[in-house]
Amino acid sequence: MELSARYNYYDILEINAHCPQHEVTTAYERAKQTYSGENPAIYTMFKEEEARELLKLVEEAYSVLGNKTLRALYDEKIGQKRPVADLTFESLQTESKTVLTSSAKKSSPARADFVVDEALENEFKKTTQWDGEMLKKVREYRKLSHEALSEITKISSYYLHALEEMDPKNLPASVYVRGYVSQVVKVFGLDEKKVCDSYMKLFKSSIENK
Amino acid sequence: MSQKIFAVGAGKGGVGKTFISSSLALTLAKMNHSVLIIDFDLAGANVHTNLGIEPHNSSIQSFLNNEAALVNLLQTTSLPRLSMVQGVWQEWEHSECSSDQGRRMIEEIRKLPFEYVIIDLGPGATPLNLEIFAQADEKILITNAEPTSVEKTYRFFEAWILNKISENSTPEAYLQLKNTVKEFRAQKKKGLFSFRKYLNINAGISFDHFDELLSQPLHLIVNGCRSHQDQDLGFGIKSVCNKYFDLQIDYLGHVDYDNAVWHSIINREPFLIAKPFTKLSAQFLSLAKSLIQSENHAIGYKDVV
Repeated sequence: MELSARYNYYDILEINAHCPQHEVTTAYERAKQTYSGENPAIYTMFKEEEARELLKLVEEAYSVLGNKTLRALYDEKIGQKRPVADLTFESLQTESKTVLTSSAKKSSPARADFVVDEALENEFKKTTQWDGEMLKKVREYRKLSHEALSEITKISSYYLHALEEMDPKNLPASVYVRGYVSQVVKVFGLDEKKVCDSYMKLFKSSIENK
Repeated sequence: MSQKIFAVGAGKGGVGKTFISSSLALTLAKMNHSVLIIDFDLAGANVHTNLGIEPHNSSIQSFLNNEAALVNLLQTTSLPRLSMVQGVWQEWEHSECSSDQGRRMIEEIRKLPFEYVIIDLGPGATPLNLEIFAQADEKILITNAEPTSVEKTYRFFEAWILNKISENSTPEAYLQLKNTVKEFRAQKKKGLFSFRKYLNINAGISFDHFDELLSQPLHLIVNGCRSHQDQDLGFGIKSVCNKYFDLQIDYLGHVDYDNAVWHSIINREPFLIAKPFTKLSAQFLSLAKSLIQSENHAIGYKDVV
């Protein structure tokens, strides 16, 4: 058997590449019955150690095809004509793990650690005039990019930009703007009512001025 | 009207070739097809006993000795749609038949107005049997679940493949091929399972005719099943053939062991007529149906392969 044939798991189980999952299991059970123990079917054809080797292949094939995630990954790789080393059970398993963890990371992005600065913290507490510039300052102090903040608040980074520039053309109605600001302020851990009131006052006056 | 010839063979004697072929003939006749069964087991003809008919002097022997036309040897049976040609030989006479005579018989059969012709062959992969197998439309191989007959079944497959290859090669090339096969048997290399690949590397033979073999897969029937494992043996043999010879076969189905079969032969009354409402007759019905539809099977095979 050629090296590439060794990793054609569908050939090993003698099934069609499009067959449903239950047929994989049936084929596996039949192959297992054929190549283990003293089945008359292998009599005079395969020696005991050859049958054992075939059984190992069958088990390996089923450990990939019997698992929906690994099978999908395997199908994808077969389609891409990847090198044989990429088609082993081990490589598929490690890859499936990395796929899973990277998607897990995405859902909870790590927050970059920020250095506490007493002077700035005090300044934020004292400030009564909260405009876009101020919000930007806090965000940069917190070492959060627009994208990171967007991940946490689920507000589009486009609106976050607009909030900091106090650009009403790129923002929805002001009632929503207040909601956005309160979301952002919650993340920053500031006094929600004070900041929102101040921001909305400035925001509305900036609209009137324009 | 298109005619189908079914050849029924086996690697070993006594696995139930005659029982299966006469039962298939009865089943097809009951399905209202016109059927002819030819007893071609020259050494041990006994289809007539299975059908409960007296042995008769006008047999296939007369045809092979050029004494009578095949059409004059037809006999009626208890079923109106079923005819038979007996295979009784005078044992003291030389009972040998060449492949050429086999081919001539097939030609004669093609002229007869039957929908299905079942040829009950003798045991083993003799040149004559292989010739008839090659000429037939559907090739049916019978085995039972014992290691003895399983072994002989594999030898039959081997002979079948080599015979097919020898048709397309010179005598020297065939001799070399046979030596390579012997070598392969003697010292099978580790990790190299495929017979086809081994021949390709070591004898440099191209295997286009394997595809031809695939278009008409051998049908396997496991007879005398006493357990679930026996029934699954067919799948095992199929898988081994695939891995070892790269040869796809079709596991047609199994026939259960039944003491009533033995009784019916003693009473010389066909089992399917004496006991028509048994599990066994249902099994024969499904075998016959899938044989009739096996044209579709062959197409399906091509798609898969």
